[in-house]
Amino acid sequence: MKKVNLHFLINGLWAWLFFTFLVLIFMPSSTWAAFEEDREKPDPEFSRTGGRITAKLLPRAKSSSILIDFEVSGGKLAAVRGMDFDKADGPSVDQKDFKSALFVVEVQDLAPGAETKVSIISDFFIRSTQYWIYNPKLDSPWMDSKASNLDRGDRIQELVIGVKDGGVFDSDGVENGKIIMVGGPKDSFWGYALGTLFIRYFGIFLVLCILMLGMLFSGKVFQYLERRKAEAMTKPARSGSSVKNDVKPDMHRLSLETDMAAAIATALHMHLAGLRSAAPIPYPSKQPGSWAQQGRQQIMGERMLKINRNKH
Amino acid sequence: MSWDYVLELITNILITQTGLPNLIFKQVIMMAVAFFFMYLAVAKRYEPLLLVPIGFGIFLVNFPLAPLMGYTEHGYPELLRAFYRYGIEWEIIPPMIFLGLGAMTDFGPLIANPKTLIIGAGAQLGVFITYIGTLFFGFTLKEAASVAIIGGADGPTTIYLTAKLAPQLLGANALAAYSYMAMVPLIQPPIMRLMTTSAQRRIKMRQLRPVSAREKLLFPLIAAVLIILLIPAVAPLMGMFMFGNFIRECGVVKRLSDTAQHSMMNIITILLGLSVGATMKAEVFLSWKPLLIFGFGLLDFVVCTFGGILTVHIMNRFLDEKINPLIGSAGVSAVPMAARVSNSEGLKADPTNFLLMHAMGPNLAGVIGSAAAAGMFIAMFQ
Repeated sequence: MKKVNLHFLINGLWAWLFFTFLVLIFMPSSTWAAFEEDREKPDPEFSRTGGRITAKLLPRAKSSSILIDFEVSGGKLAAVRGMDFDKADGPSVDQKDFKSALFVVEVQDLAPGAETKVSIISDFFIRSTQYWIYNPKLDSPWMDSKASNLDRGDRIQELVIGVKDGGVFDSDGVENGKIIMVGGPKDSFWGYALGTLFIRYFGIFLVLCILMLGMLFSGKVFQYLERRKAEAMTKPARSGSSVKNDVKPDMHRLSLETDMAAAIATALHMHLAGLRSAAPIPYPSKQPGSWAQQGRQQIMGERMLKINRNKH
Repeated sequence: MSWDYVLELITNILITQTGLPNLIFKQVIMMAVAFFFMYLAVAKRYEPLLLVPIGFGIFLVNFPLAPLMGYTEHGYPELLRAFYRYGIEWEIIPPMIFLGLGAMTDFGPLIANPKTLIIGAGAQLGVFITYIGTLFFGFTLKEAASVAIIGGADGPTTIYLTAKLAPQLLGANALAAYSYMAMVPLIQPPIMRLMTTSAQRRIKMRQLRPVSAREKLLFPLIAAVLIILLIPAVAPLMGMFMFGNFIRECGVVKRLSDTAQHSMMNIITILLGLSVGATMKAEVFLSWKPLLIFGFGLLDFVVCTFGGILTVHIMNRFLDEKINPLIGSAGVSAVPMAARVSNSEGLKADPTNFLLMHAMGPNLAGVIGSAAAAGMFIAMFQ
């Protein structure tokens, strides 16, 4: 009955695995994801310091806040605010690629049709970070701004975008001395996920290999020390006896004849066997260690084999 | 006082102060889920130490109007919420469990054969495969990492990582991790037999060298230095694990070691189980996600077992002294269940081949490996 139950459970588990595969294959990823609220939606807070506006936000897939600075080199940076991705969602973009929020950048006090440079600076960006612009008035609203990605040192990257009043990056689309630029920094989600996966999996190997090497090395050291200790314990005994009995060093080299050695060994064995039968040697610990247990198990296993052999 | 008034009063009392009219079907389903896990724990003895409190936690938290998992009028957490908040949200219980585990662990087999650490790393394969798999199904990066770590077969690590990255999945992840850990003897043997030949299963390994007390004493210090220097994010888990082991091996604080192994561990286990169970309210738990998590968890275990055995096969290509590939499956952690499974499968192939102590090496390496994987994920999302 027990066996039947076990088989039933094992078959159940495999059936469950098979069912999972079926679900995974046939269910589009968006089906259940739609049930979920967006827990990682970035919610930036803005502060102004002179001509610079700083956004503080918790980006997707991060546990600590980041800072993104906005500056312009022509006109006046009037405001920067966050925007929900849902309002700009489209088939050509994936929300996952935009780890930080979408931003609406407003620049004023420009001559009509003039161009300005918008700088977006953060240590969250990497060299491959792009800045994509959303302009709902265009047929294909999403486009790469081809921002220059400059290394400012100390792991800070600066994205510089040239924006023309009334140009494709200006959402209001008119030459009115005011630019509204909607967009956000974009990093490849899958590139990050797969890249980091590779690095981290081999990172575990690396860490455990280093630990292994450390243990192999320390193991050798300990074994050497143990050997030295054992040798040191035998040496004084030898030297002590030689002093006491005034035995010459050459005496140690004396070899016993085989018969004599056998006789001594037999005598010792009989003596010890006698002792054992008289009073059993007390076992030092009531709870045997794992090593002892394995040894006992092995001995018992071998005995059982012999017993079984006799039986048949 | 009219009869209508009395009737209205009774109705009001019934609706606002008793649970029965507020009981919804989803809660009944969750109670059935709780009974199922309690049945597995009590009747089938599957991880009873964890599944009994988890099951009871699920059972309790799904009573309507029960003041257990909310906040009082003054903003204080209610009973189970307090356990959860101070134990899990504050990340106290999982490291304390690691402390107890450290105090219970004899690292001798791992110290005697450090090569088995590689098996522990190889057995994390499923963690990373599942991580990618879950991403395809719309899990966020943090959720994917927390689901993936289930394959590490280490309950406290799963809880620690999930509480940190995706607390909304805590119940499902913990339940999947502990359930599958209990089912290791069912999940692993078919894969082990599939991936090994009869001759490979009969490989006898040399008796491990004895490890001196001094070596055991210094191991937690050496391991802590190396691991925490390389992955600082794992310090709370590894620090406590190695501290627990140090108080065990130093021999001068027997009282502390005993407390860590027994009383503290038991108290923490009760609090942990109830807290995890309490996260599984009907409105949170009954969705596609837990089902997918259970599916991915199983897949994760399968791939981790596969990864461990595959690693041994690769190692055997370079080693003169061959390793029995059956011990590869023990790299998934799940101490000591996975090692026992390796041993029993070895005995089935050859009744004189005892692999238990050899399998304990990768088993302990699996604990370190899964904690390292968790540390890697935490560092990734910092």
